[in-house]
Amino acid sequence: MIAKLNDLPAWARWALYAAFGVLLLTIVQSISDTERLTQVATAREMLRFAVPIFLAGLGGLFSERAGVVNIGLEGMLILGMWFGAWGSITYGAWWGLAIGIFGGMLGGLLHAIATVTFQVDHIISGVAINILAPAITRYLSEEIWASPTTSPRTSAVGDWDVPFLAGGTVFGWESPDLLLTISQWEIWYLSDLAQLSRGLLRGTSWVAIIAIALVPFTVWLIWRTRFGLRLRICGEKPAAGEAQGINIIRYKYIAVIISGGLAGLGGAFISTELSGLFQGGNSAGRGFIGLAALIFGNWRPGGVLLGALLFGYVFGLDLRDLDGTASHAMLLVNAIAFAGVGLWAFTRRRKADTIIAAILGVGALFWWIVADTVPSWWSNTLPYVVVLLVLVFFAQRLRMPVSLGMPYRKGET
Amino acid sequence: MTAAIELTGITKRFPGVIANDNVNLTVEKGEIHAVCGENGAGKSTLMKILYGMQAPDEGTMKVNGELVNFSSPTDAIDRGIGMVHQHFMLADQLTVLENIILGAEPTVSGGRINFKEAEAHLSQVADEYGLTIDVNQMVESLEVGERQRVEIIKVLYRGAEILILDEPTAVLVPQEVEALFENMRELKASGATILFIDHKLDEVLEISDSMTVLRHGKTVATMKNDGVTAHELAELMVGSELPTPDTSESTVTDDVALELKDLTVLNEDGRQVVHDINLRIHRGEIVGIAGVEGNGQGELVDAIIGTADIASGTVSFHGRDITRESVRKRREAGLAYVPEDRHHEGLLLSSPLWENAALGHQTQSPYGSNWWLDRDGARAQTELIREQFDVRTPNIDVSAHALSGGNQQKLIIGRELTSDPEVLVAAHPTRGIDVGAQAAVWDDIRAARRNGLATLLISADLDELIGLSDTIVVMLRGEFVATLAPADVTPRDLGAYMTGAALQNGGAA
Ligand SMILES: Nc1ncnc2c1ncn2[C@@H]1O[C@H](COP(=O)(O)OP(=O)(O)OP(=O)(O)O)[C@@H](O)[C@H]1O
Ligand SMILES: [Mg+2]
Repeated sequence: MIAKLNDLPAWARWALYAAFGVLLLTIVQSISDTERLTQVATAREMLRFAVPIFLAGLGGLFSERAGVVNIGLEGMLILGMWFGAWGSITYGAWWGLAIGIFGGMLGGLLHAIATVTFQVDHIISGVAINILAPAITRYLSEEIWASPTTSPRTSAVGDWDVPFLAGGTVFGWESPDLLLTISQWEIWYLSDLAQLSRGLLRGTSWVAIIAIALVPFTVWLIWRTRFGLRLRICGEKPAAGEAQGINIIRYKYIAVIISGGLAGLGGAFISTELSGLFQGGNSAGRGFIGLAALIFGNWRPGGVLLGALLFGYVFGLDLRDLDGTASHAMLLVNAIAFAGVGLWAFTRRRKADTIIAAILGVGALFWWIVADTVPSWWSNTLPYVVVLLVLVFFAQRLRMPVSLGMPYRKGET
Repeated sequence: MTAAIELTGITKRFPGVIANDNVNLTVEKGEIHAVCGENGAGKSTLMKILYGMQAPDEGTMKVNGELVNFSSPTDAIDRGIGMVHQHFMLADQLTVLENIILGAEPTVSGGRINFKEAEAHLSQVADEYGLTIDVNQMVESLEVGERQRVEIIKVLYRGAEILILDEPTAVLVPQEVEALFENMRELKASGATILFIDHKLDEVLEISDSMTVLRHGKTVATMKNDGVTAHELAELMVGSELPTPDTSESTVTDDVALELKDLTVLNEDGRQVVHDINLRIHRGEIVGIAGVEGNGQGELVDAIIGTADIASGTVSFHGRDITRESVRKRREAGLAYVPEDRHHEGLLLSSPLWENAALGHQTQSPYGSNWWLDRDGARAQTELIREQFDVRTPNIDVSAHALSGGNQQKLIIGRELTSDPEVLVAAHPTRGIDVGAQAAVWDDIRAARRNGLATLLISADLDELIGLSDTIVVMLRGEFVATLAPADVTPRDLGAYMTGAALQNGGAA
């Protein structure tokens, strides 16, 4: 069966996985006292959380594929937030995005100068940028808006309803809202599926649409073009690239600057689309979570998106889950996931992994049984826990760039 | 006629060493020119300078009569120079095709790589050279011989006019060397100029038109290949006689040191790459494994070292079952290992020599104890290795990448042999080591064997295999298909066994 799955085209396979995931949520929901797992709002919040996480993660992908660890994504995101807000206030929404990208790129440039030219340790440079960015934006806010923490209101680029599926308008004509109709039938699973889909397709920010489009574009760019191949050699074996006449330093610079630009776009999205103003601290560690999504996604664009959506789901669920029942139901989902991982490990005769998965699964199940709610720190911690678990169980399958984080000097082989 | 290459007065200094000292080298158009010299003589450095990877401190370079000043390989490539490096320049996680086309990618609009065209061009080049590997697989799944061939294809693909080949034959078996030479002759016929580095003097004499000998960074001789003998060449290089490996009296005992019982190893796809192998190596015995690469030798070695998952069967040391024990436990029990690719598994290139010497023995005296490294002990031991194995280096604090290839290899050999091993697993132990030092290494292995060392030897050098081994087993498709006495076989026979040809004629022993 696995073999047949692999024969399907990628989009069909992913759709199948998604449908299966929703089935799992629906089953869990039917034995819990919550309805939030499959609500429209949950899907919408998931996407809103996921977009900046994904953009930061994708930024990380560009940088790390070129061999530069970018822990400074958080700082670049913050620069993007400020520059995005400023641009949006001064020149309008679309310019805001462009200027936000530019702000992130400045952070990327700084990181490239430090790590590529001056051989500063990548982590140290990244941490420095993360410390620097909030300080700079605070100073700039004070200078320009006379308030260290908040800006005036920004304008947003707006959103889009998909016609026919989610009732969008076509040349002024209001099309039917098919998914709403299906949701209202209240058929088990089918209506849940429709609700979640509708959350993604109605009121979708243009930035989200751009972000999703970046997945196939990045795959094409990195694996199909000359630029991508040369970028990858920087992260795999720069000496080999140099020996073939490739200017490694230049490609590293470009990659890290693109990385900053993507994080900057994510930041601009946070300030202009999510909060509607620049506010210090609103990045809420999404740069770091983007890095987690990058590892979770095995340094591949589709994987990063999946990680971002997964983490976004957990955050989105938690946002409106004031009584903690929905996060409580998630415990059962976790338990089932562990059972799946355990079974997988068992069939591969990996004893230690099977035992760990079993213990964690039983633990989650036990927690689910004895508690009625879950504290909110749980969902904030979950992304990191998930990444740690991925590292525990799938470290062998992760394929990070071989020369990631290693210093590169020209002519030294 | 202007010379293809004319280097005058090239000097290159590194901290503590003069790698090239006023070197002159002239290579005529359309000739194959060998550069010979002992380990650390400065051959690779000179080639890297010519390829623009390193800048000379002094001297001038002319290519086709024009004065050039290379600041990066890009400049050299623009002048039609291509180079196969002594150490692989391959990215493990890229495909063979991607590795080969890198830097010369055929593209269509938008910078998209035209993989179809690349593959077509590649298969044309590969056919001529006789390369048969799946170009869409990852390089990480290739063994050293295949990697070497990919490296060679890489320059052929670009169609360089001046080729620099730095020890391309070190891990190739005789048939592959023959294929390479055939190709070099064709290239020469079509007007290419080839610079060629090799420690096997008979190969040098077979292929080259003329040669230059370097010693301690200086040019000591340049001559035409007419009537020069291997003895004379060796004497120019190292000032000593050319050694030949020959077996001394047998020291095999009845004690079984390493035993493999019904050993089966699966690869990632679940295919049996090592199939029901049974092998006993006694104290004082050297068992050589002959076989074309990719017939399970690599996995067999991994299983003994402890880095492969063993599907079934057992590995035991002096009767003790170690099948499930960690690499460290095995090392501590007296297992020594010389890996096939020194850069991949043998060294930490950016760490100092003394740390590299401790590598794999860090939990044992004199390098350290369970928790702590013993710096003084490790340094003293490294000095000892340096002296005994003639590792040429200014001091033991330089990082491993500052050593010449052969000296890196000598460091590894020294590290493994000075640890008083019970069992040695050695893959291509003398790869890249010059003729003088090679004889010394062989003597060291023989001396250890007299003291009871059990050795599993894998080598592409069939003379070495025949000369050192007490028994030779032939490995084909994951199984041992024949056991031969080295006294009775010639390299030619062995070649026939390796491809399975001799077996079909009912020649199995
Ligand atoms: N990057 C470097 N830093 C310091 N010293 C170096 C460096 N590269 C080479 N050397 C030194 O220069 C000398 C010549 O080295 P080179 O690699 O050219 O030797 P070689 O003739 O190619 O030897 P081999 O046959 O062992 O490959 C050696 O003494 C080596 O230690
Ligand atoms: Mg060399």
